[in-house]
Amino acid sequence: MASGDGGLLSASHIVEYPYRRSTGPVMGRFFAALRDRRFEGVKTARGRVLVPPTEYDPQTGEAADEMVPVGPGGVVTTWAWVSHPRAKHPLNHPFAWALIQLDGADTAMLHAVDTGVESAMQTGMRVTPRWRAQTVGSINDVACFEPEGTS
Amino acid sequence: MAELCGVVGIGQTQHDAKRTDVSAPGLLREAATRALEDAQLTWSDIDAVVIGKAPDMFEGVMMPEIAMGDALGAAGKPILRVHTAGSVGGSTAVVAASLIQAGIHDRVLTVAYEKQSESNAMWALTIKIPFQQAIVAGAGGYFAPLIRAYMARSKAPEDTGIRVALKDRLNALKNPYAHLKIPGVDFDQVANSPMLWDPIRYLETCPSSDGACAMVLSSEKAAESAPTRPAWVWSTAMKSEPTMFSGRDQVNPQAGKDCAAELYKKAGITNPRKEIDAAEIYVPFSWFEPMWMENLGFAEEGLGWEMTYEGATALDGDLPVNCSGGVLSSNPIGASGMLRFAEAAMQVRGQAGEHQVEGARKALGHAYGGGSQFFAMWIVGSEKP
Repeated sequence: MASGDGGLLSASHIVEYPYRRSTGPVMGRFFAALRDRRFEGVKTARGRVLVPPTEYDPQTGEAADEMVPVGPGGVVTTWAWVSHPRAKHPLNHPFAWALIQLDGADTAMLHAVDTGVESAMQTGMRVTPRWRAQTVGSINDVACFEPEGTS
Repeated sequence: MAELCGVVGIGQTQHDAKRTDVSAPGLLREAATRALEDAQLTWSDIDAVVIGKAPDMFEGVMMPEIAMGDALGAAGKPILRVHTAGSVGGSTAVVAASLIQAGIHDRVLTVAYEKQSESNAMWALTIKIPFQQAIVAGAGGYFAPLIRAYMARSKAPEDTGIRVALKDRLNALKNPYAHLKIPGVDFDQVANSPMLWDPIRYLETCPSSDGACAMVLSSEKAAESAPTRPAWVWSTAMKSEPTMFSGRDQVNPQAGKDCAAELYKKAGITNPRKEIDAAEIYVPFSWFEPMWMENLGFAEEGLGWEMTYEGATALDGDLPVNCSGGVLSSNPIGASGMLRFAEAAMQVRGQAGEHQVEGARKALGHAYGGGSQFFAMWIVGSEKP
């Protein structure tokens, strides 16, 4: 027990427990594809391809379960430059957070883009994923995106 | 004068220890889809969604309902969540019904769920918060002393709880959705199961389940096009009281007695034991059947155990209780209360299959939560009030 304001007692309270998540058939396939260094989206009944996929069309509520390959390249639709990366950021040098619309997708998803310098970032630029050497089935299996033709 | 409310669609999942085949939204979607199919309606027919689950700490997702709107077809509609601990499934249905009774909506989808495999409710109920009284033993540790107190007061035979558990476990064998099914279960198997929290044995306690329940509630006018007979809501009631205060009777809580009294008064019921044909009562530990029989006014104080002992609460008794197998057989906590309400509605709609009470015309659904401090109840009937 520690002493708080005015000598009244306070105490820290740390709650820890390992929770578990079931991804379900749609997100589960999305993550499994990442492990294989591929992207998959879901096609809704109205023909829109959502990436990352959702189990249900957010507008109509209809179930969406037709998985379709997308990417691996895509287009930056908007971005924000990070001049001073923090410890938990995906890159330890300046980079951009960007919304990336993968080829074949109708929606954009958030990821990091490594151009080295801000002047190389442009809305509309084409990017491709840089995969990690080890993949586990996580969005972080993509280390970041980089301008097409970089490597 | 309130509008009439009818239950026109009911759905529940296959309850199991681990539904790892579905996400949490997928789990409640399964129940909701079945309720819509039962009502022969589509997502676009629904005006509003009312959702309930137990405290967020049970799965570690804060306010999960705000990410479930798509799974519940709620885009462009009101969605709201009800919180009343373990009674939430019942309270959620009561709130949903009130939206119909108030004339605000014609069709409301109400859903409740829990995915216990993603967490550990025992742990979530065991947190030691600085400067507060510790429960430190999950729900069983909290309720076992209340059961001991009931046994001392009532002088009920020691094996009453075993008889309740055996009845509910045999009933569960007739319910295709029940989680815990023990073919060939008998008195000795229950009696010889390990003592978890004296006097509660392993087979006298509820399982941890993944599951969901959903109902489509309808106004009288909208129910005219219902494909099957609705269950009509005759009355609803909710009451609460603080967990701890001096003089509180946790064995026979005043809030429960008041809730039942209001419920019967609104429904015009003067002799509940005679007028109600089936009851689905929240019994997570066997001994709560006789305790709630008294709290609900089905038996005089101290005599609830006689109903169990004489077989009055069996499927062929004069007041069948938990014909579905009850919470002892399926316990997706947030949904457990709504399952009681839905099973009551299934009885008066004649939908309960092998665990149907022949000719049930009025049924009671009951849920309690917290430290026996939140109560939600409804009475549904085959006829309009």
